[in-house]
Amino acid sequence: MNPYILAILLFGLGLGTTITFASSHWLLAWMGLEMNTLAIIPLMAQHHHPRAVEATTKYFLTQAAAAATLLFASITNAWLTGQWEIQQITHPLPTTMITLALALKIGLAPLHAWLPEVLQGLDLTTGLILSTWQKLAPFALILQIQPSNSTTLIILGLASTLIGGWGGLNQTQLRKILAYSSIAHLGWMILVLQFSPSITLLTLLTYLIMTSSTFLVFKLNKSTNINTLATSWAKAPALTALTPLILLSLGGLPPLTGFMPKWLILQELTKQGLAPTATLAALSALLSLYFYLRLSYAMTLTISPNSLLGTAPWRLPSTQLTYPLATSTALTICLLPLTPAISALLTP
Amino acid sequence: MLKILLPTIMLVPTIWAVPAKYLWSTTLSYSLIISLISLTWLKSSAESGWSFLSPYMATDPLSTPLLALTCWLLPLMILASQNHTAPEPISRQRTYITLLTSLQIFLIMAFSATEVIMFYIMFEATLIPTLVIITRWGNQTERLNAGTYFLFYTLAGSLPLLVALLLLQNNTGTLSLLTLQYTPSMQLSSFADKLWWAGCLLAFLVKMPLYGAHLWLPKAHVEAPIAGSMVLAAVLLKLGGYGMMRMMIMLEPLTKELSYPFIIFALWGVIMTGSICLRQTDLKSLIAYSSVSHMGLVAAGILIQTSWGFTGALILMIAHGLTSSALFCLANTNYERTHSRTMILARGLQMVLPLMTAWWFIASLANLALPPLPNLMGELMIITSLFHWSWWTIALTGGGTLITAGYSLYMFLMTQRGPLPAHIISLDPTHSREHLLMALHLLPLILLISKPELIWGWTA
Repeated sequence: MNPYILAILLFGLGLGTTITFASSHWLLAWMGLEMNTLAIIPLMAQHHHPRAVEATTKYFLTQAAAAATLLFASITNAWLTGQWEIQQITHPLPTTMITLALALKIGLAPLHAWLPEVLQGLDLTTGLILSTWQKLAPFALILQIQPSNSTTLIILGLASTLIGGWGGLNQTQLRKILAYSSIAHLGWMILVLQFSPSITLLTLLTYLIMTSSTFLVFKLNKSTNINTLATSWAKAPALTALTPLILLSLGGLPPLTGFMPKWLILQELTKQGLAPTATLAALSALLSLYFYLRLSYAMTLTISPNSLLGTAPWRLPSTQLTYPLATSTALTICLLPLTPAISALLTP
Repeated sequence: MLKILLPTIMLVPTIWAVPAKYLWSTTLSYSLIISLISLTWLKSSAESGWSFLSPYMATDPLSTPLLALTCWLLPLMILASQNHTAPEPISRQRTYITLLTSLQIFLIMAFSATEVIMFYIMFEATLIPTLVIITRWGNQTERLNAGTYFLFYTLAGSLPLLVALLLLQNNTGTLSLLTLQYTPSMQLSSFADKLWWAGCLLAFLVKMPLYGAHLWLPKAHVEAPIAGSMVLAAVLLKLGGYGMMRMMIMLEPLTKELSYPFIIFALWGVIMTGSICLRQTDLKSLIAYSSVSHMGLVAAGILIQTSWGFTGALILMIAHGLTSSALFCLANTNYERTHSRTMILARGLQMVLPLMTAWWFIASLANLALPPLPNLMGELMIITSLFHWSWWTIALTGGGTLITAGYSLYMFLMTQRGPLPAHIISLDPTHSREHLLMALHLLPLILLISKPELIWGWTA
């Protein structure tokens, strides 16, 4: 893509999120979200491939619907309470509408159906942006509203973890697997939102780091399905040895970083007297763990000449920067001992 | 405590920095030195029971024998793995030993943890290196299934444990084992409390394993390479027993009513898995089911909460750890020569490898609990305390002892006596390394006859 156009689009992405972060007026927040959507649309469709264009169209339709609902909800709130402050939403009707609108924006169940198909149509870089950057602005809004209906949020959360787990079980395409993984992690984030928004923020940040690691690993191997992943041992042996740890961290196994949000969330839920919810959420993580484990089996734990599942692709030297992958991998694996420091940092 | 933990952690850079031709001898000698130093833990003379105290780690007479067993096992695992990893590139050999060492680090931290959540995290942390050892270095396609069963059975039990521990922390305000034994016992009456009780124990019962939840064990033990089988049988199962013994203090008074089905499963499992052993064709599978059988007895001993029960359980755990690991090493010597685990393919070995027969003999006698070996002492204490708890258990435990003797003798006679098949007349003679390995397994077992106080636990 023309570097000037790319620069403008990336600037637009950054500006949109920043506007939403900095806003206290609903109209400005909505503007930031719309800017994000509009800036990423050309990025998604840049390859002019029919599948990419289909993904772009679906993304635009869902995001526009969500943004329109958000605008409608904020106008309703302005009508009912006479002000546009983001943190002053008190009436239950606009609160519920905004929660659902933002759920559609990020891909929480039961409003998740667009995410796997959209992510599948994108190349890995744009998919990375969709999974990480595009979640920041909606979450900035989610963290600020005080939801009134606690049961809705818990149902959204549990449904997301279960659907994210079950949906990913039958997938062989890596981008769809990461989409369902995203849905499951978003479910965990929403579970604890009403009790401790700082834990939600911690979960979001650790999820961003872990997903970036995974996307960057897949980019380096230029692999988009499980079979191609099986040849990564020949391209980058050390990274192939580390990737099971990244995947198991996504699955939430101690002593890796991914355990930190799950531990804190379960602790908060049990403190609030929701032990059965906590147990159900914990057991639903096992579903996701199954397909992460399957990925690590295919990639690292069965090595040629025992089994070569994929056809050998061209092995061109990689032009990818290694610094981001190295940092995110180190953080994905080794951050658990810093749990007290990180949760103290994120508590206001 | 750090005297042992830090050298074990530093073993990892040593593995990667040492020149290739000194890799195995260096790691073996360093891990042997660490294990000899770990024997200093056995002398614990503190009034409160906890010695070598630091804010997060301590030892007491319950964890000390298990820690010594864990530290002792690392050089043995390195000794056993030397041959089958020899064809691999050197960096894979280094990775393998790194995995064994990292498992060791997590195990030391698990057994010496004073905070129950630390124990939980280390308990879970041991799953990852074991999973990689089983699935990457196992030999048959079934190893992937074995790894999945292993991971998911253990996690399905331990995730409720995490929730239960967090609930306990809300209730008592602390999860430090040092003070938890002094907290007043909780009012445990509702159905939710019964579920909490089950949540506390389920993870350890799956790990031990209890008979109904044991399906992961034959798969994992059989498909794992020798070091994996050794550490699984000797130490990882004991994590379950250790966890149960620690948690029992807090679970009063529900255990009196709720433990009945689990005791019954445990005792019935002794009989059932013993009978399964009598019909096995796969040597490693036989030893794996024998492990389930012995650990069923341990589980029953712990669940009845008597002092002889606990003591017998601890003695049997240590003795079974050494014996089972020795049997897996013996099975591995067969496997390395014939590349098959089928028993009838490697019979009559006394003709070909007479010195190994001596080790087979001692290990089989230990497995069937011959006096005066500690295996018998542990089993006898458990059987006696079970008899005191209920006269009827003698039918199951006595029958279990009989069946254990049956299959241990069957294993010995099948592999050693009888006609030598024509296809294995020319086998490699036993390496000195293998003799050393067996000696290092069975000598501590024999020496423990003379000083069982080391593995008595609290009733010392």
